[in-house]
Amino acid sequence: MSIGDVLLYFFAAGAVLGGLLMLVARHPMRVALALIAAMLSLAGVYAMLGVHVVAVFQVLIYVGAVMVFMVFVIMLLDVRDASFVRRYGHMLAPGIVAGSLLLVLLAMLAMPGDALPPAPAASGSDGFLVQPFSVAFLEDYWLHFELTSVLLLAAVIGAISVIKGRGRGDG
Amino acid sequence: MDRAQFLLMVSMLLFTTGLLGVMIRRNALVMLMCMELMLNGVILSLVTFAQHSGTLSGAVLVFLVFVVAAAEIAIAIPIVMQLARQRRTLDVEAWRELKG
Amino acid sequence: MDLLTTIVALPLLGFVLNGLLGPRLGKTFVNVVGCGMPLLSFALVLLAFLRLQAGGGTQPLVETVYTWATVGASSFEIGFWFDRLSAVMALVITGVGSLIHIYSTGYMRDDAGYARYFAYLNLFVFFMLLLVLGRSLLVCFVGWEGVGLASWLLIGFWFDDPAKAAAGKKAFITNRIGDAGFLLGMFLLYRTLGTLDMDQVNAAFSAAALPAVSASLVGILLFIGATGKSAQIPLHVWLPDAMAGPTPVSALIHAATMVTAGVYLVARLNGVYLHAPEASQVIAVVGVLTAFLAATIAVVQTDIKKVLAYSTISQLGFMFVALGVGAPAVAVFHLCTHAFFKACLFLGAGSVIHALGGEQDIRRMGGLAKRIPVTFATFAVATAAIAGIPPLAGFFSKDEILWFAFASGSGGSPLLWVLASSAALLTAFYMFRLLWLTFLGTSRMDAEVAHHVHESPWSMTGVLLVLAALSALGGLIPIAHFLEPLLPLPAVRDGFAHHQTTLVVISVLLALAGLATATWVYGKGLARGESLATRLAPLHRLLSGKYFVDEAYAALLGRPLQWLSARVFLDLGDRRLLDGSLDGMASAARRAAGRLGRIQSGSLQFYMVLAVAGAAASLGWMWWHG
Repeated sequence: MSIGDVLLYFFAAGAVLGGLLMLVARHPMRVALALIAAMLSLAGVYAMLGVHVVAVFQVLIYVGAVMVFMVFVIMLLDVRDASFVRRYGHMLAPGIVAGSLLLVLLAMLAMPGDALPPAPAASGSDGFLVQPFSVAFLEDYWLHFELTSVLLLAAVIGAISVIKGRGRGDG
Repeated sequence: MDRAQFLLMVSMLLFTTGLLGVMIRRNALVMLMCMELMLNGVILSLVTFAQHSGTLSGAVLVFLVFVVAAAEIAIAIPIVMQLARQRRTLDVEAWRELKG
Repeated sequence: MDLLTTIVALPLLGFVLNGLLGPRLGKTFVNVVGCGMPLLSFALVLLAFLRLQAGGGTQPLVETVYTWATVGASSFEIGFWFDRLSAVMALVITGVGSLIHIYSTGYMRDDAGYARYFAYLNLFVFFMLLLVLGRSLLVCFVGWEGVGLASWLLIGFWFDDPAKAAAGKKAFITNRIGDAGFLLGMFLLYRTLGTLDMDQVNAAFSAAALPAVSASLVGILLFIGATGKSAQIPLHVWLPDAMAGPTPVSALIHAATMVTAGVYLVARLNGVYLHAPEASQVIAVVGVLTAFLAATIAVVQTDIKKVLAYSTISQLGFMFVALGVGAPAVAVFHLCTHAFFKACLFLGAGSVIHALGGEQDIRRMGGLAKRIPVTFATFAVATAAIAGIPPLAGFFSKDEILWFAFASGSGGSPLLWVLASSAALLTAFYMFRLLWLTFLGTSRMDAEVAHHVHESPWSMTGVLLVLAALSALGGLIPIAHFLEPLLPLPAVRDGFAHHQTTLVVISVLLALAGLATATWVYGKGLARGESLATRLAPLHRLLSGKYFVDEAYAALLGRPLQWLSARVFLDLGDRRLLDGSLDGMASAARRAAGRLGRIQSGSLQFYMVLAVAGAAASLGWMWWHG
């Protein structure tokens, strides 16, 4: 087992641990920190896999933008209410049952044999550098790339209308 | 169990953990963050498949998921803020109007 | 359009015009259309009759208007058939019908439903013409049902009186029972012969190779239909109640034309009955019983129209006797003379009722002869005619019926003659009783009513005069002889021929005896009749109770049916089974909805769990089925 594999397993365990911590942490801020830990671990996994672009995106977009936004909001709202003290809703037991059932089933479906079918192409790590990405986006996936801007525009308009809608509504 | 299968297991674990969080946690913001965790699980599986098959499509899809996650958060956070202003609470059990 | 079609269609046009436009365009329009259409029809029937005669009289006029339906090889056509029998019937219907229409313009003058009345009357004439001119039994049946409808509409013309509406319903329902027999007979004929055209049916039964169906069975089934329409025992109960309608309606429908439809049907299917001695026997027996029993009931009735109603039933019985002994031509002859004098009697009764402002009880009449002389004179002539005083119409026709009842080679017997003659005696008695109590003697009217007595307008008395003339002279028209090529008279039994003169003398004596008895009993008012009634109290009760047939029907059929409907069908079937099961299903659905509705709690996380459980379930299904 090489050092890379050890690090891979380490980061993967960190991600799972972060996820589990999210379930038990009481305050949203701690949940946010656990999530950031999980995300950074995942970025480590991606880096170990050689998919550096995604790893960078993970850190930049998720941790750097989304989670910072989230933390700001948590600090902004900081509503001290019952949901901080009592973590779980009334669906704790059924939720656990349904969730674990789903996990078992997913695992059974995803593990039909002992191994995935072998990769058709050699997994060269240089395929996941920035340049092939850029070329792929602008040649093969230019439509998707442009459509994301439409989606983002719609999100911006939606966010503004939700905020502004307060004036007309009952709030 | 090879590496790809291991990573898939991790991705499933993350996904179901997030799902479980959405189901059992009361705090609306925590629920949102658990959804992010679910998305991360999915992204991991996409990366695994992309890396395993050596094609770029999976990684491109990851990029799209990032965009969707950002858009989702951009909409969801204002909604949660509105709700918190109305009821002075982040407890989802305070909102039970969604029924006939 | 062809001649026969026009004849039939004109009254229908009158119905449509009067029904749609009559109430708006006023009385003159209604009069012109209402009376004009039947009169025009009458003229055209005369024209057709002349054409028929010009063609030798044996070649019928045939028209096919429309092919109704084609089933396999056989097609059902609306076709008309005009031979001598149809000609006689159509002449009576349109002739007497037109007279009664004219009479109605006076009688119904102040009625609110004037246009409606004439529309119905025209509709009746239309269906009646369809009945007698139809070539196929099917067309005949449409007319048959149609006149039933018109009869129902007109009996219940004043439908805001529940008793009158109920009388209409009774007539309709009783007729339906007969119609079932008619339909079955028709089905049987169609099944065996493959045709319903009456000429072909007759031909099939007259052919050398008899069809593979019992003529008697067909005959009896069709006769059941005839008993319903012609008010023979045991389906006679509707006719007296039908007197609830306006009096001209009673004259037209319930005396002169519609009730003779049964006679027409049997006469028309003469070919079948010739080969059905059993059925003929049944017809003769039912006919003579009806004639006799109805006459006995008529003796004690006190309502002027009820007397005439039972008299009608009795006279129809006579016609069926003639049919039963194989002399349909004589039956049709009596049908015609009866149409004349019975229409005259009913219209005269209408004139009396009109004069007295609605009074119908003969115990509160009397002495009207001088006040309404025209009505009295015509009524007297018609009474003498029905009683069989020579040389008036009824004498000839009734005498021939009695003769064939006695001497016919196919079913005549002295016993039949005795019963029929008794009925004739009773007829003379109750008719003169009616005449005496109504017109002669001293007045028993209220002063108020007596003050207002007035002769009817010319439209009514004129019609009465025409009908009285026909009643007097109608017997001289040799209708039986005229019909003989079509409806041959039966052979006289051996050794009976020389009795004819004796029988004629006896029947005249019987009529005179009836006249004398009635004069003796009722010549001086009610006293003698009432003392007789008290002396013969049980008999009187039986007769005035009309042999309690209505009560028997109510007890035997009505009550059990009501019990069945109320207990079994309504309570058990409808309320418990149908309503119960439907209500049960509804409440089960509501309860289930109530329970399922609780799932929609509004809890976001519960929905989430449900969605995950659903996803897990579909994944499990996928895994299970590999």
